[in-house]
Amino acid sequence: MRKLTTTAVLAALLGLATAAHAQDGDFAGKSIDVIVPFGPGGATFVSAKFLEPYFEKHLPGNPEINVIDRPGGGSILGANWFEQNAKSDGTTILFTTSSTANPFVLGQKGVEYRLADYRVAYSHPFSAVAYVSPSTGVTSAADIKNAKAPLIYGGIAAAASDLPGLLSFEVLDLDVKSVLGFNGRGPVRLAFEQGEVNIDYQFTPVYLTQVVPSVEAGSAVPLWTGGSMMDGVLKGRDPIAPELPSVYEVYESMNGKAPSGIEWDAFQGVASVTYAYGLTGYMHPDTPQGVLDIFEKAVTDINADPEFQAESQKVTNGARLNAGPSTEAAIKAALSPPAEVKEYLRTLLSKKFGVKM
Amino acid sequence: MIENALTALDALTDPLRLLALFAGMLVGMVFGMLPGLGGVAAVSILLPFVYYLDDYSGLAMLLGAVSVVYTSDTITSVLLGAPGSPASAPTAIEGHALAKQGQAARALGVGFLASMVGGLVGAVVLFVAIPVAGPIVLLLSTPELFMFALVGLFFASSMIGKDLAKGLAAACLGLLLGVVGPAQAAADFRFTFGQVYLLDGFSLTIVALGLFGVAEVISMLAAGGGISHERMTVGSWGVGFRDFWRHKWLVLRASLIGVLGGFVPAVGASASTWVAYGHSIRSTKDKSKFGRGEIRGIAASEGANNATVISDLVPTLLFSVPGGPAAAIFLGALFSFGYYPGPRMISQHPDLMFLIVWSVALTSVVGAAACFAISPWLARLTRIPFAIIAAPLILIMVIGAYQSTSTMGDIFMLFTLGALGWLMKHGGWPRAPALVGFVLSGPMEQYFWLTNQIHGWSWLARPGVLIIGSIIVIPLLLSAWRWFRTHRTPGEEGPGDEDAPPPDTSRTIALVLAVVATAAFTYALWEMFTFNPASRLMPALAIVPGLPLALWLFYRGLREYKPDFAHDAGELQILIALIVYAIAVWMIGLSIPTIALLCWMLFMRAGMRVWTGAIYGLVVFAVVRVLFELLRGDAPVGALLPIS
Repeated sequence: MRKLTTTAVLAALLGLATAAHAQDGDFAGKSIDVIVPFGPGGATFVSAKFLEPYFEKHLPGNPEINVIDRPGGGSILGANWFEQNAKSDGTTILFTTSSTANPFVLGQKGVEYRLADYRVAYSHPFSAVAYVSPSTGVTSAADIKNAKAPLIYGGIAAAASDLPGLLSFEVLDLDVKSVLGFNGRGPVRLAFEQGEVNIDYQFTPVYLTQVVPSVEAGSAVPLWTGGSMMDGVLKGRDPIAPELPSVYEVYESMNGKAPSGIEWDAFQGVASVTYAYGLTGYMHPDTPQGVLDIFEKAVTDINADPEFQAESQKVTNGARLNAGPSTEAAIKAALSPPAEVKEYLRTLLSKKFGVKM
Repeated sequence: MIENALTALDALTDPLRLLALFAGMLVGMVFGMLPGLGGVAAVSILLPFVYYLDDYSGLAMLLGAVSVVYTSDTITSVLLGAPGSPASAPTAIEGHALAKQGQAARALGVGFLASMVGGLVGAVVLFVAIPVAGPIVLLLSTPELFMFALVGLFFASSMIGKDLAKGLAAACLGLLLGVVGPAQAAADFRFTFGQVYLLDGFSLTIVALGLFGVAEVISMLAAGGGISHERMTVGSWGVGFRDFWRHKWLVLRASLIGVLGGFVPAVGASASTWVAYGHSIRSTKDKSKFGRGEIRGIAASEGANNATVISDLVPTLLFSVPGGPAAAIFLGALFSFGYYPGPRMISQHPDLMFLIVWSVALTSVVGAAACFAISPWLARLTRIPFAIIAAPLILIMVIGAYQSTSTMGDIFMLFTLGALGWLMKHGGWPRAPALVGFVLSGPMEQYFWLTNQIHGWSWLARPGVLIIGSIIVIPLLLSAWRWFRTHRTPGEEGPGDEDAPPPDTSRTIALVLAVVATAAFTYALWEMFTFNPASRLMPALAIVPGLPLALWLFYRGLREYKPDFAHDAGELQILIALIVYAIAVWMIGLSIPTIALLCWMLFMRAGMRVWTGAIYGLVVFAVVRVLFELLRGDAPVGALLPIS
């Protein structure tokens, strides 16, 4: 599943595959490689394929977009490949999630990519919704501390995409038993349906297609969302599930005051990378500002495209893409958290979850 | 329901859709035959074209490819002894042994028919089970999945072979290979030596290709001549048909094992194939022919792997949880066409569900027929000098291995494991238990950990656990009773003849392998103490029996040592050449070492004439480059000389 359009194959056959360079804001005749550091069929890959036609349509010169999967090392291999091979003209994009960001922030071994130096071309919010099983007796977010049964959360690994969910339990001071070691969020959802775990987080597209039927059938109770950025704080409601409160609001109604302190700072930092800027397209650090401006313009056009609006309504309840200096600043800030937040995360992960740094 | 089924059949008989289905089938057949490249590669390569078609045609194309891979891989496994895909490793063991005895037609015939039945059983189960499969999948919680892994291990025990110590040591080595990478229970990365490459552990494709494929190619290259010393005639299918009919119930049982394996997300065709193979060993009275060409082994494993690949689609469609890697890509394609598999899938898109059933059924029959048709032609290849086939074969395996992460690590790992497989082959260690141990160690550890975390020990009393447990306990009790009876009645002979001298085992290599294994287990023991306690269980399960066994084999090796190395020196030379090739690719990129390897094989080993050799080599080289471009987009670039 690589650059696999007929033209690419033909070019390869003829030995004509030459480097493309974007000049004068025009991608005509060029091709852009979107590197996804996960396997084909995964959520990130599917999202990249979903966006592909819209970028082809709205970028000037209608470049050809190739979505290329480079799985391995929990996304580290693909990101390291990007570090070594990315072109600085905007024709190589690393499209990835917090699974790539967290090892970078935590300074994990084997990370060669300098994520905080990368330019941010665009980002696609990918919120997550928490829900519980009715067997816990919980009927709404406010009720969560009165659960009749011990809360059991299923996850993959503490230092990867489970981190914001686990941190939200810390912020809300919930006593949740975390069972880590599942293969993916899909098997966790199955375990939820089987009654093995009783509190779960799912990313929005999955929530809409897989969990909402259970909610309608009365076998799942939605609680809250990760929230969305409002005035630089992760307190807004998520446009994807506006009927649900954010973690911020839940804390406020439980404690009568706004959340603060190191737990909140850590949650906000990690959660904003995971949710608010869920899927982010990164570019080489030396990419000229002109290329980023072109992408910002394209994102504006895509968001205004009625076809995109209709399709994204189906998949993400109408989530829009983000781009531009404020998005980039927010992501870079989240990727370089203050030293005490880093220290808190490292201590929490090593003490509570046995992660070796 | 019937009405939906007929609508779907009508929709599929549209000429364009049939064309798409058969085009997909052809691609699937080719990729099934290429060792290391299977359903995933076939589906990946088709994916971009799928988007030019309408939804039904596109999905039919993918299904055509997925459903035929485990039929056509039989050809490679039988004729070349290199597994066409990891799940046909048992076929490679038994089928290739038959082929060497000149019975290729028999092995292929049974393999194709069993594959067809497996596919059809899968399709029928999908058809019947659509309304009820959901609850079945939901019944299989982590404790039941753990029990299934145990059943797999139990069946695997029948593959240990005559030399108990070597068989068990091989299984422990496999378990140890399986725990490399991330631990499920706690945040440990085990035995990664600081290499990012190992963070995800070993890829099944590379382990299967290395242990079986590389070692087989080396032996055949060294032996010279064609693959078969007997004349391999694939013309009369009669014996195969009769054999198939005699073992029809075994095929059916194996298919059902395969179907069940598919219901369990992420267990996949390999595990259920081994379980079915183990079942065929257990249910055969005269076990002496296993490993030397037993037709029942082929019948069972081919029935199972085809059934699994179809029933993999059940969790995919009903819960959006892919059953295997090819199903994951299929899921991605469904998303792209705007279908969101899940609880609503059956009520919202009944036609689509039946389209899948029909596509699978049709491909199973037509695919098997097509395999029958092409086999006689392919069998002729086995009479030309093997060195001519070996060159492209090794390069295809390199490409297949390179699919997993497209880094140099894939190629190094292929030949490192190839060296291990070669040592095992000549040291008399059975490779099947090693591969089974590798396949099962992941799920066993994961499900044991999850089960114990979630349920404590109360899971032992779950009805599902007891039912599955009885699959293990009842045969054990039966054989214990039988053993008791035979040993009480004097005059009757117990199961014996253990001291048969192992054929073609090199004592030098056995000693070398014992040293390697002892070193590996000792190091693993030392590193194990740095893990979180929860991550130590599975490595301990491999090391605690593995280390004493390796030491015992070391002692035995010393005692029995005879300087008989000269016998295998020719093969060692080829192994070294391949490792040099891997290092050269790493240093100066793909092209130059590949041309050198081709020259060496075609002119030195095969003795081809200058012009024919040059033209053939050029064609092989061009195909390899195109395949790299097609599949990965980029070939490995040298570390010293930055060209590819």
